[in-house]
Amino acid sequence: MTASRTKYFEEVTIGETLPPIDFAVTLTSLVMYAGATWDFHRYHYDAAFVAGLGMPGPFMDGQMLGALLARQVMQWSGPDGFVRKLSYRQRAMVYANDTITLRGKITGTSIQDGRGLAHCMLSVTGPDERVVARDATATVELQRRPG
Amino acid sequence: MSGRITAEVKACIGRQVSYTAPEELGRSAIRYFALALGDDSPLYRDPEAAAKTVHGGIVAPPTLVCETNQIIQQPLDENGYIGHHWTLPLPNTRFIRGGNEYEFHQPTRPDDRITVTWKILDIYERETRKFGALVFVVSEARYVNQRNELLAINRETNIYSP
Repeated sequence: MTASRTKYFEEVTIGETLPPIDFAVTLTSLVMYAGATWDFHRYHYDAAFVAGLGMPGPFMDGQMLGALLARQVMQWSGPDGFVRKLSYRQRAMVYANDTITLRGKITGTSIQDGRGLAHCMLSVTGPDERVVARDATATVELQRRPG
Repeated sequence: MSGRITAEVKACIGRQVSYTAPEELGRSAIRYFALALGDDSPLYRDPEAAAKTVHGGIVAPPTLVCETNQIIQQPLDENGYIGHHWTLPLPNTRFIRGGNEYEFHQPTRPDDRITVTWKILDIYERETRKFGALVFVVSEARYVNQRNELLAINRETNIYSP
């Protein structure tokens, strides 16, 4: 992420797209996330173990998908944003050596208790446009422009 | 319906368990998590740059607070897992993650010492055309800091499939 500038609530337009993210899921990135979250389950690195379960390879933890979706929203909002809500359902597994693409757009804005909120619809696709998530939603609080 | 929701399963609704971290989250845990996500935002690693944001200092990426394996301090199981899981009387079923709904109330900071409380909100069975009768378990985790301030809530639906 380049040090993105702050997005002000007043600058948001409905329908604008969030910069997409292509994320290469490698055995290395699975191991890094597993290490960072103290998740030592063999699911995430042991090819022989998962083959024994009939799976094509080590796979991504479901909460890593949420972490990447939050990253995408924060990349758009800039460092003054604060993710208030995030909701998703994973529809397909993501395996080592899949590249996934995260996309999003702004579906609305609202003001609650003086806070400016932007509402996003997010999707994640894997190889061959496999749908990993298609109806994820996020709400991010943005700064109001001073004055 | 296959009737997996026995009185014994129903009695699990409302079960609750809490874990408190033995130490503060720390800046290195935040930097490690951001690195794993390919996120080089200064908000997660540069105290001076982070101090100029509305957050006033380094904060954790949003969902790090919902990853609590490091808090729990129990031995690894035979497959290497050390995190929270419910032991439910649902024999011969396979565990599948459904989805997550996160609500964030304030950012998690390096000096926060987190307590998580897990609770089973509901267990129900639903007939599906593709997989037959599935059992859905809805859990909620609430995360607070050392001042008992609410940081986040995570509602998770998991599926137990025959």
